[in-house]
Amino acid sequence: METETIKEAKSFVDEVAAEPGGEKINECIQCGVCSGSCPTVEWWQYPPRKIIAMIRAGKRDMVLSSTSAFNCVTCYSCTVRCPRNINPTQLIHAVEAIAEREGYKPKTPTLTLHRGLRDAMMQGRVWELRLAMLFYLKTSLLEGMKMMRVAWDLISRGLMPLLPPKQTKKGGKEVTAILKAVEAMQKSGGAK
Amino acid sequence: MKQYTYFPGCAMGSTGKPIQASIDAVCEVLDIELIELEGWTCCGCPGESINELAATAIATRNLAIAEKFKLDMVTACSCCYRNLLAAHVTYTEDPRIREQVKKALAATNLEYNGTLRVRNLVDIFINDIGLDVIASKVQRKLTGMKVANYYGCHQTRPYGPDDHEFPVWQDQVSEALGAETVFFPLKAQCCGGTQLFSNKEMIYKLLYKILDNVEKHGGECISSTLCPLCFTNLDANQGRINNRDGDKFEMPVLALTQLMGIAFGLSPKEVGLNKNISPALKAVKPYLKSKVQEVVK
Repeated sequence: METETIKEAKSFVDEVAAEPGGEKINECIQCGVCSGSCPTVEWWQYPPRKIIAMIRAGKRDMVLSSTSAFNCVTCYSCTVRCPRNINPTQLIHAVEAIAEREGYKPKTPTLTLHRGLRDAMMQGRVWELRLAMLFYLKTSLLEGMKMMRVAWDLISRGLMPLLPPKQTKKGGKEVTAILKAVEAMQKSGGAK
Repeated sequence: MKQYTYFPGCAMGSTGKPIQASIDAVCEVLDIELIELEGWTCCGCPGESINELAATAIATRNLAIAEKFKLDMVTACSCCYRNLLAAHVTYTEDPRIREQVKKALAATNLEYNGTLRVRNLVDIFINDIGLDVIASKVQRKLTGMKVANYYGCHQTRPYGPDDHEFPVWQDQVSEALGAETVFFPLKAQCCGGTQLFSNKEMIYKLLYKILDNVEKHGGECISSTLCPLCFTNLDANQGRINNRDGDKFEMPVLALTQLMGIAFGLSPKEVGLNKNISPALKAVKPYLKSKVQEVVK
Protein backbone atom coordinates (compact mmCIF):
# COMPACT_ATOMS: atom_id res chain seq x y z
CA MET A 1 0.00 0.00 0.00
CA GLU A 2 2.68 2.39 1.03
CA THR A 3 4.81 1.74 -2.01
CA GLU A 4 1.78 2.33 -4.22
CA THR A 5 1.18 5.77 -2.78
CA ILE A 6 4.78 6.75 -3.33
CA LYS A 7 4.68 5.42 -6.85
CA GLU A 8 1.60 7.46 -7.67
CA ALA A 9 3.05 10.59 -6.09
CA LYS A 10 6.07 10.32 -8.31
CA SER A 11 4.06 9.74 -11.41
CA PHE A 12 1.82 12.81 -11.03
CA VAL A 13 4.70 15.18 -10.49
CA ASP A 14 6.43 13.62 -13.50
CA GLU A 15 3.27 14.02 -15.52
CA VAL A 16 3.18 17.75 -14.74
CA ALA A 17 6.91 18.08 -15.37
CA ALA A 18 6.45 16.58 -18.84
CA GLU A 19 3.89 19.25 -19.74
CA PRO A 20 5.12 22.51 -21.36
CA GLY A 21 5.59 24.96 -18.47
CA GLY A 22 5.65 22.30 -15.77
CA GLU A 23 9.32 21.38 -16.21
CA LYS A 24 10.69 23.19 -13.16
CA ILE A 25 8.14 22.03 -10.59
CA ASN A 26 10.79 20.25 -8.55
CA GLU A 27 12.77 23.47 -8.10
CA CYS A 28 9.99 25.15 -6.10
CA ILE A 29 11.05 26.13 -2.56
CA GLN A 30 7.47 26.77 -1.34
CA CYS A 31 8.17 30.41 -0.46
CA GLY A 32 4.62 31.46 -1.39
CA VAL A 33 5.53 34.58 -3.37
CA CYS A 34 3.24 33.30 -6.15
CA SER A 35 0.22 33.11 -3.85
CA GLY A 36 1.07 36.48 -2.34
CA SER A 37 1.34 38.13 -5.77
CA CYS A 38 -1.84 36.65 -7.20
CA PRO A 39 -4.56 39.30 -7.70
CA THR A 40 -7.33 36.69 -7.61
CA VAL A 41 -5.99 34.47 -4.83
CA GLU A 42 -9.04 34.93 -2.61
CA TRP A 43 -11.07 32.90 -5.13
CA TRP A 44 -8.67 29.94 -5.16
CA GLN A 45 -9.56 27.04 -2.90
CA TYR A 46 -5.95 25.92 -3.19
CA PRO A 47 -3.61 28.85 -3.93
CA PRO A 48 -0.75 28.35 -6.43
CA ARG A 49 1.88 27.43 -3.82
CA LYS A 50 -0.44 24.84 -2.34
CA ILE A 51 -1.22 23.38 -5.76
CA ILE A 52 2.49 22.82 -6.33
CA ALA A 53 2.78 21.14 -2.92
CA MET A 54 -0.26 18.98 -3.67
CA ILE A 55 1.11 17.93 -7.05
CA ARG A 56 4.33 16.87 -5.39
CA ALA A 57 2.33 14.97 -2.77
CA GLY A 58 0.52 13.09 -5.52
CA LYS A 59 -2.98 14.49 -4.88
CA ARG A 60 -3.93 14.00 -8.51
CA ASP A 61 -7.72 13.85 -8.22
CA MET A 62 -7.92 16.70 -5.74
CA VAL A 63 -5.85 19.01 -7.94
CA LEU A 64 -7.43 18.12 -11.25
CA SER A 65 -11.04 18.28 -10.10
CA SER A 66 -10.57 21.58 -8.25
CA THR A 67 -11.64 24.85 -9.87
CA SER A 68 -8.67 26.67 -8.34
CA ALA A 69 -6.33 26.70 -11.33
CA PHE A 70 -9.10 28.12 -13.51
CA ASN A 71 -9.02 31.37 -11.53
CA CYS A 72 -5.66 32.20 -13.09
CA VAL A 73 -6.05 35.40 -15.14
CA THR A 74 -2.61 34.92 -16.75
CA CYS A 75 -1.22 38.20 -15.42
CA TYR A 76 2.31 36.85 -14.84
CA SER A 77 2.71 38.71 -11.53
CA CYS A 78 3.91 35.48 -9.91
CA THR A 79 6.22 34.65 -12.80
CA VAL A 80 8.21 37.88 -12.66
CA ARG A 81 8.59 37.58 -8.89
CA CYS A 82 9.34 33.86 -8.52
CA PRO A 83 12.83 33.58 -6.99
CA ARG A 84 13.36 30.18 -8.60
CA ASN A 85 12.17 31.18 -12.09
CA ILE A 86 9.79 28.27 -12.27
CA ASN A 87 7.10 30.20 -14.17
CA PRO A 88 4.04 29.40 -11.99
CA THR A 89 1.70 30.85 -14.65
CA GLN A 90 2.67 28.21 -17.21
CA LEU A 91 2.65 25.57 -14.48
CA ILE A 92 -0.96 26.41 -13.60
CA HIS A 93 -1.80 26.31 -17.31
CA ALA A 94 -0.24 22.85 -17.44
CA VAL A 95 -2.64 21.76 -14.67
CA GLU A 96 -5.57 23.24 -16.61
CA ALA A 97 -4.43 21.46 -19.77
CA ILE A 98 -4.19 18.06 -18.05
CA ALA A 99 -7.60 18.51 -16.38
CA GLU A 100 -9.19 19.40 -19.71
CA ARG A 101 -7.52 16.59 -21.60
CA GLU A 102 -8.25 13.94 -19.00
CA GLY A 103 -11.93 14.79 -18.89
CA TYR A 104 -12.03 16.13 -15.33
CA LYS A 105 -14.96 18.49 -15.10
CA PRO A 106 -14.26 21.15 -12.46
CA LYS A 107 -17.48 23.09 -11.91
CA THR A 108 -16.48 26.42 -13.40
CA PRO A 109 -17.73 28.23 -16.49
CA THR A 110 -14.11 29.22 -17.15
CA LEU A 111 -13.41 25.75 -18.53
CA THR A 112 -16.22 26.28 -21.06
CA LEU A 113 -14.74 29.71 -21.83
CA HIS A 114 -11.26 28.26 -22.39
CA ARG A 115 -12.67 25.62 -24.71
CA GLY A 116 -14.65 28.29 -26.57
CA LEU A 117 -11.56 30.46 -26.91
CA ARG A 118 -9.53 27.55 -28.22
CA ASP A 119 -12.22 26.76 -30.79
CA ALA A 120 -12.40 30.46 -31.76
CA MET A 121 -8.65 30.43 -32.33
CA MET A 122 -9.11 27.52 -34.70
CA GLN A 123 -11.36 29.62 -36.94
CA GLY A 124 -8.39 31.77 -37.90
CA ARG A 125 -9.64 35.11 -36.63
CA VAL A 126 -11.79 35.39 -33.53
CA TRP A 127 -15.42 36.48 -33.99
CA GLU A 128 -16.30 37.81 -30.55
CA LEU A 129 -20.08 37.82 -30.90
CA ARG A 130 -20.10 34.12 -31.79
CA LEU A 131 -17.74 33.36 -28.93
CA ALA A 132 -19.96 35.20 -26.44
CA MET A 133 -23.23 33.70 -27.72
CA LEU A 134 -21.89 30.14 -27.69
CA PHE A 135 -20.49 30.64 -24.21
CA TYR A 136 -23.78 31.86 -22.74
CA LEU A 137 -25.76 29.17 -24.56
CA LYS A 138 -23.57 26.52 -22.98
CA THR A 139 -23.47 28.03 -19.49
CA SER A 140 -26.28 30.36 -18.46
CA LEU A 141 -28.70 32.32 -20.61
CA LEU A 142 -29.62 34.42 -17.58
CA GLU A 143 -26.03 35.59 -17.22
CA GLY A 144 -26.08 36.34 -20.93
CA MET A 145 -29.15 38.52 -20.51
CA LYS A 146 -27.39 40.45 -17.76
CA MET A 147 -24.64 41.32 -20.23
CA MET A 148 -27.11 42.74 -22.74
CA ARG A 149 -26.42 46.35 -21.79
CA VAL A 150 -22.69 46.06 -22.30
CA ALA A 151 -23.34 44.17 -25.51
CA TRP A 152 -25.68 46.92 -26.73
CA ASP A 153 -23.16 49.64 -25.83
CA LEU A 154 -20.63 47.83 -27.98
CA ILE A 155 -22.93 46.77 -30.84
CA SER A 156 -24.50 50.22 -31.24
CA ARG A 157 -21.04 51.74 -31.65
CA GLY A 158 -20.00 49.12 -34.18
CA LEU A 159 -17.51 47.65 -31.72
CA MET A 160 -18.93 44.14 -31.81
CA PRO A 161 -19.48 43.25 -35.46
CA LEU A 162 -22.51 41.11 -36.24
CA LEU A 163 -20.71 39.45 -39.14
CA PRO A 164 -17.62 37.23 -38.96
CA PRO A 165 -14.28 39.00 -39.51
CA LYS A 166 -12.90 39.11 -43.03
CA GLN A 167 -9.88 36.96 -43.60
CA THR A 168 -7.96 35.42 -46.45
CA LYS A 169 -8.90 31.88 -47.36
CA LYS A 170 -5.24 30.89 -47.33
CA GLY A 171 -4.86 31.99 -43.70
CA GLY A 172 -7.82 29.93 -42.53
CA LYS A 173 -6.67 26.87 -44.47
CA GLU A 174 -3.13 27.07 -43.12
CA VAL A 175 -4.36 27.35 -39.53
CA THR A 176 -6.55 24.27 -40.01
CA ALA A 177 -3.62 22.33 -41.48
CA ILE A 178 -1.32 23.32 -38.60
CA LEU A 179 -3.89 22.40 -35.97
CA LYS A 180 -4.51 19.03 -37.60
CA ALA A 181 -0.80 18.31 -37.52
CA VAL A 182 -0.63 19.34 -33.84
CA GLU A 183 -3.61 17.17 -32.99
CA ALA A 184 -2.09 14.17 -34.76
CA MET A 185 1.13 14.61 -32.79
CA GLN A 186 -0.73 14.95 -29.49
CA LYS A 187 -2.94 11.94 -30.16
CA SER A 188 0.03 9.74 -30.99
CA GLY A 189 1.38 10.68 -27.60
CA GLY A 190 4.59 12.18 -28.94
CA ALA A 191 3.76 15.76 -28.02
CA LYS A 192 2.03 17.61 -25.22
CA MET B 1 9.95 57.31 -42.38
CA LYS B 2 10.25 54.27 -40.16
CA GLN B 3 8.76 51.00 -41.42
CA TYR B 4 7.46 48.02 -39.50
CA THR B 5 5.27 45.04 -40.21
CA TYR B 6 2.09 45.33 -38.18
CA PHE B 7 0.10 42.59 -36.49
CA PRO B 8 -3.26 44.13 -35.50
CA GLY B 9 -4.85 41.11 -33.80
CA CYS B 10 -8.50 40.09 -33.88
CA ALA B 11 -9.82 42.55 -31.29
CA MET B 12 -8.51 45.59 -33.18
CA GLY B 13 -11.22 45.00 -35.78
CA SER B 14 -13.99 44.98 -33.20
CA THR B 15 -13.72 46.35 -29.66
CA GLY B 16 -10.38 47.92 -30.51
CA LYS B 17 -11.69 50.03 -33.41
CA PRO B 18 -11.28 53.37 -31.57
CA ILE B 19 -7.69 52.42 -30.68
CA GLN B 20 -6.91 51.37 -34.23
CA ALA B 21 -8.26 54.67 -35.59
CA SER B 22 -6.02 56.61 -33.22
CA ILE B 23 -2.98 54.43 -33.98
CA ASP B 24 -3.39 55.09 -37.71
CA ALA B 25 -3.74 58.84 -37.14
CA VAL B 26 -0.87 59.14 -34.67
CA CYS B 27 1.51 57.02 -36.76
CA GLU B 28 0.88 59.31 -39.72
CA VAL B 29 1.87 62.34 -37.65
CA LEU B 30 4.97 60.58 -36.34
CA ASP B 31 5.97 59.32 -39.80
CA ILE B 32 5.68 55.64 -38.93
CA GLU B 33 4.56 53.22 -41.63
CA LEU B 34 2.82 50.10 -40.36
CA ILE B 35 2.55 47.43 -43.06
CA GLU B 36 -0.29 45.10 -42.12
CA LEU B 37 0.79 41.49 -42.29
CA GLU B 38 -1.02 39.74 -45.11
CA GLY B 39 -3.00 36.66 -44.05
CA TRP B 40 -2.41 37.10 -40.32
CA THR B 41 -4.58 35.01 -38.06
CA CYS B 42 -5.20 34.72 -34.33
CA CYS B 43 -2.02 35.09 -32.26
CA GLY B 44 -2.79 31.91 -30.35
CA CYS B 45 -3.35 33.62 -27.02
CA PRO B 46 -6.93 32.28 -26.56
CA GLY B 47 -5.87 28.65 -26.69
CA GLU B 48 -2.80 29.06 -24.58
CA SER B 49 -4.21 27.95 -21.23
CA ILE B 50 -5.35 24.52 -22.34
CA ASN B 51 -3.31 23.73 -25.45
CA GLU B 52 0.01 25.47 -25.45
CA LEU B 53 1.53 23.60 -28.37
CA ALA B 54 -1.34 24.54 -30.69
CA ALA B 55 -1.10 28.16 -29.55
CA THR B 56 2.65 28.26 -30.13
CA ALA B 57 2.30 26.67 -33.57
CA ILE B 58 -0.31 29.21 -34.70
CA ALA B 59 1.73 32.10 -33.35
CA THR B 60 4.82 30.84 -35.15
CA ARG B 61 2.93 30.80 -38.43
CA ASN B 62 2.43 34.56 -38.06
CA LEU B 63 6.09 35.01 -37.13
CA ALA B 64 7.18 33.04 -40.19
CA ILE B 65 5.16 35.30 -42.49
CA ALA B 66 6.51 38.46 -40.86
CA GLU B 67 10.10 37.26 -40.92
CA LYS B 68 10.21 37.45 -44.73
CA PHE B 69 9.89 41.25 -44.64
CA LYS B 70 13.15 41.67 -42.69
CA LEU B 71 11.53 44.38 -40.56
CA ASP B 72 10.66 44.47 -36.86
CA MET B 73 7.10 43.33 -36.22
CA VAL B 74 4.93 45.65 -34.13
CA THR B 75 1.75 44.88 -32.25
CA ALA B 76 -0.32 47.21 -30.12
CA CYS B 77 -2.46 44.56 -28.41
CA SER B 78 -0.64 43.42 -25.28
CA CYS B 79 -1.98 39.86 -25.43
CA CYS B 80 -0.79 39.41 -29.01
CA TYR B 81 2.54 40.96 -28.06
CA ARG B 82 3.08 38.55 -25.21
CA ASN B 83 1.93 35.46 -27.03
CA LEU B 84 3.89 36.13 -30.22
CA LEU B 85 6.99 36.92 -28.19
CA ALA B 86 6.42 33.82 -26.04
CA ALA B 87 6.23 31.70 -29.20
CA HIS B 88 9.48 33.25 -30.44
CA VAL B 89 11.23 32.62 -27.10
CA THR B 90 9.99 29.04 -26.77
CA TYR B 91 10.84 28.30 -30.40
CA THR B 92 14.37 29.61 -30.12
CA GLU B 93 15.12 28.26 -26.63
CA ASP B 94 13.30 24.93 -26.31
CA PRO B 95 14.52 22.35 -28.84
CA ARG B 96 11.70 19.92 -28.01
CA ILE B 97 8.94 22.41 -28.81
CA ARG B 98 10.88 23.69 -31.83
CA GLU B 99 10.89 20.25 -33.44
CA GLN B 100 7.17 19.80 -32.82
CA VAL B 101 6.28 23.26 -34.15
CA LYS B 102 8.51 22.72 -37.20
CA LYS B 103 6.65 19.51 -37.95
CA ALA B 104 3.29 21.27 -37.66
CA LEU B 105 4.42 24.19 -39.85
CA ALA B 106 5.63 21.76 -42.50
CA ALA B 107 1.96 21.26 -43.38
CA THR B 108 2.00 24.80 -44.84
CA ASN B 109 5.48 25.10 -46.39
CA LEU B 110 6.32 27.82 -43.92
CA GLU B 111 9.51 27.92 -41.94
CA TYR B 112 10.59 30.14 -39.11
CA ASN B 113 14.28 30.87 -38.53
CA GLY B 114 13.95 32.77 -35.28
CA THR B 115 15.34 36.09 -36.53
CA LEU B 116 12.24 38.26 -36.04
CA ARG B 117 12.02 41.00 -33.42
CA VAL B 118 8.55 41.31 -31.92
CA ARG B 119 7.95 44.74 -30.43
CA ASN B 120 5.28 46.76 -28.72
CA LEU B 121 4.09 50.06 -30.18
CA VAL B 122 4.93 51.97 -26.98
CA ASP B 123 8.48 50.61 -27.27
CA ILE B 124 8.62 52.13 -30.78
CA PHE B 125 7.41 55.51 -29.50
CA ILE B 126 10.06 55.62 -26.78
CA ASN B 127 13.09 54.00 -28.39
CA ASP B 128 12.73 54.56 -32.13
CA ILE B 129 10.84 57.85 -32.32
CA GLY B 130 11.91 59.52 -29.10
CA LEU B 131 10.20 61.74 -26.57
CA ASP B 132 11.69 64.92 -28.06
CA VAL B 133 10.07 64.20 -31.45
CA ILE B 134 6.75 63.42 -29.77
CA ALA B 135 6.97 66.68 -27.78
CA SER B 136 7.78 68.63 -30.97
CA LYS B 137 4.54 67.45 -32.63
CA VAL B 138 2.32 68.75 -29.82
CA GLN B 139 -0.19 71.35 -30.96
CA ARG B 140 -2.41 71.43 -27.91
CA LYS B 141 -0.43 71.17 -24.72
CA LEU B 142 -2.37 69.13 -22.17
CA THR B 143 -1.29 71.39 -19.28
CA GLY B 144 -3.02 70.56 -16.03
CA MET B 145 -4.58 67.30 -17.18
CA LYS B 146 -4.11 64.72 -14.42
CA VAL B 147 -3.52 61.49 -16.26
CA ALA B 148 -3.30 58.06 -14.63
CA ASN B 149 -1.46 55.69 -16.95
CA TYR B 150 -2.75 52.13 -16.81
CA TYR B 151 -0.42 49.48 -18.25
CA GLY B 152 -2.16 46.17 -17.64
CA CYS B 153 -0.18 42.95 -17.62
CA HIS B 154 1.25 41.74 -20.86
CA GLN B 155 2.74 44.96 -22.12
CA THR B 156 5.48 44.50 -19.53
CA ARG B 157 5.02 41.03 -18.07
CA PRO B 158 6.79 38.71 -18.38
CA TYR B 159 9.02 40.01 -21.18
CA GLY B 160 9.30 43.76 -20.56
CA PRO B 161 11.25 45.61 -21.85
CA ASP B 162 9.68 48.24 -19.56
CA ASP B 163 9.70 47.55 -15.81
CA HIS B 164 7.47 44.66 -14.63
CA GLU B 165 6.19 46.27 -11.44
CA PHE B 166 6.27 50.02 -12.03
CA PRO B 167 6.51 50.67 -15.75
CA VAL B 168 7.13 54.29 -16.82
CA TRP B 169 7.04 54.57 -20.61
CA GLN B 170 3.42 55.64 -20.96
CA ASP B 171 3.96 58.19 -18.19
CA GLN B 172 6.92 59.60 -20.10
CA VAL B 173 4.83 59.92 -23.25
CA SER B 174 1.99 61.72 -21.45
CA GLU B 175 4.49 64.06 -19.81
CA ALA B 176 5.91 64.85 -23.24
CA LEU B 177 2.35 65.88 -24.21
CA GLY B 178 2.35 68.36 -21.34
CA ALA B 179 0.04 66.39 -19.05
CA GLU B 180 0.61 65.83 -15.37
CA THR B 181 0.98 62.14 -14.51
CA VAL B 182 -0.53 60.64 -11.39
CA PHE B 183 1.24 57.81 -9.63
CA PHE B 184 -1.05 55.00 -8.50
CA PRO B 185 0.24 51.67 -7.19
CA LEU B 186 -2.09 49.46 -9.27
CA LYS B 187 -0.91 50.83 -12.62
CA ALA B 188 0.21 47.36 -13.73
CA GLN B 189 -2.37 45.29 -11.85
CA CYS B 190 -4.50 42.87 -13.88
CA CYS B 191 -7.96 44.12 -14.96
CA GLY B 192 -9.15 40.55 -15.53
CA GLY B 193 -10.25 41.13 -19.14
CA THR B 194 -9.77 37.50 -20.10
CA GLN B 195 -12.39 36.11 -17.72
CA LEU B 196 -15.06 38.77 -18.03
CA PHE B 197 -17.61 36.28 -19.38
CA SER B 198 -17.09 33.49 -16.91
CA ASN B 199 -16.25 35.13 -13.59
CA LYS B 200 -17.95 38.49 -13.49
CA GLU B 201 -17.88 39.06 -9.72
CA MET B 202 -14.13 38.54 -9.64
CA ILE B 203 -13.50 40.84 -12.58
CA TYR B 204 -15.72 43.61 -11.20
CA LYS B 205 -13.73 43.49 -7.99
CA LEU B 206 -10.43 43.75 -9.86
CA LEU B 207 -11.83 46.67 -11.85
CA TYR B 208 -13.10 48.35 -8.71
CA LYS B 209 -9.65 48.16 -7.13
CA ILE B 210 -8.01 49.81 -10.13
CA LEU B 211 -10.61 52.57 -10.62
CA ASP B 212 -10.77 53.30 -6.89
CA ASN B 213 -6.98 53.48 -6.75
CA VAL B 214 -6.95 56.00 -9.61
CA GLU B 215 -9.59 58.18 -7.90
CA LYS B 216 -7.84 58.01 -4.55
CA HIS B 217 -4.58 59.24 -6.04
CA GLY B 218 -6.20 62.15 -7.84
CA GLY B 219 -6.36 60.83 -11.40
CA GLU B 220 -8.92 62.65 -13.54
CA CYS B 221 -8.71 60.33 -16.51
CA ILE B 222 -7.07 57.05 -17.42
CA SER B 223 -4.71 56.77 -20.33
CA SER B 224 -4.96 53.07 -21.00
CA THR B 225 -2.57 50.63 -22.56
CA LEU B 226 -3.26 49.93 -26.26
CA CYS B 227 -4.59 46.46 -25.46
CA PRO B 228 -8.24 46.29 -26.65
CA LEU B 229 -9.12 43.84 -23.85
CA CYS B 230 -7.94 46.08 -21.01
CA PHE B 231 -9.27 49.17 -22.76
CA THR B 232 -12.75 47.74 -23.29
CA ASN B 233 -12.88 46.26 -19.83
CA LEU B 234 -12.13 49.64 -18.22
CA ASP B 235 -14.17 51.63 -20.71
CA ALA B 236 -17.35 49.57 -21.03
CA ASN B 237 -17.74 47.93 -17.63
CA GLN B 238 -17.10 50.74 -15.18
CA GLY B 239 -20.73 51.86 -15.48
CA ARG B 240 -21.74 48.70 -13.66
CA ILE B 241 -19.50 49.18 -10.65
CA ASN B 242 -20.14 51.38 -7.62
CA ASN B 243 -17.42 53.58 -6.23
CA ARG B 244 -16.80 54.32 -2.54
CA ASP B 245 -19.70 56.76 -2.36
CA GLY B 246 -22.11 54.28 -3.91
CA ASP B 247 -22.28 56.08 -7.26
CA LYS B 248 -21.33 54.50 -10.56
CA PHE B 249 -17.81 55.21 -11.75
CA GLU B 250 -17.55 57.91 -14.40
CA MET B 251 -13.87 57.82 -15.13
CA PRO B 252 -12.91 58.94 -18.64
CA VAL B 253 -10.82 56.23 -20.29
CA LEU B 254 -8.69 57.02 -23.33
CA ALA B 255 -6.17 54.85 -25.10
CA LEU B 256 -2.68 56.34 -25.00
CA THR B 257 -2.73 57.01 -28.74
CA GLN B 258 -6.08 58.81 -28.44
CA LEU B 259 -4.51 61.16 -25.92
CA MET B 260 -1.53 61.64 -28.22
CA GLY B 261 -3.83 62.36 -31.16
CA ILE B 262 -5.70 65.05 -29.24
CA ALA B 263 -2.41 66.65 -28.21
CA PHE B 264 -1.20 66.49 -31.82
CA GLY B 265 -4.16 68.63 -32.85
CA LEU B 266 -6.39 65.95 -34.34
CA SER B 267 -10.16 66.06 -33.89
CA PRO B 268 -11.84 63.69 -31.40
CA LYS B 269 -13.48 61.86 -34.30
CA GLU B 270 -10.17 61.26 -36.06
CA VAL B 271 -8.90 59.41 -32.99
CA GLY B 272 -12.15 57.47 -32.47
CA LEU B 273 -13.12 59.26 -29.26
CA ASN B 274 -16.77 59.30 -30.32
CA LYS B 275 -16.80 55.53 -29.87
CA ASN B 276 -15.58 55.44 -26.29
CA ILE B 277 -18.29 54.40 -23.85
CA SER B 278 -16.87 56.22 -20.81
CA PRO B 279 -17.16 60.05 -20.83
CA ALA B 280 -13.79 60.44 -22.54
CA LEU B 281 -14.77 63.62 -24.41
CA LYS B 282 -15.29 65.38 -21.08
CA ALA B 283 -11.63 64.95 -20.20
CA VAL B 284 -10.30 66.51 -23.40
CA LYS B 285 -12.94 69.19 -23.97
CA PRO B 286 -11.09 72.05 -22.22
CA TYR B 287 -8.13 71.47 -24.52
CA LEU B 288 -10.05 71.32 -27.80
CA LYS B 289 -10.65 75.08 -27.70
CA SER B 290 -6.96 75.94 -27.54
CA LYS B 291 -5.71 77.11 -30.91
CA VAL B 292 -4.24 74.55 -33.23
CA GLN B 293 -1.22 75.94 -35.03
CA GLU B 294 -1.20 75.45 -38.77
CA VAL B 295 1.11 72.65 -39.75
CA VAL B 296 3.10 73.29 -42.90
CA LYS B 297 3.16 70.01 -44.76
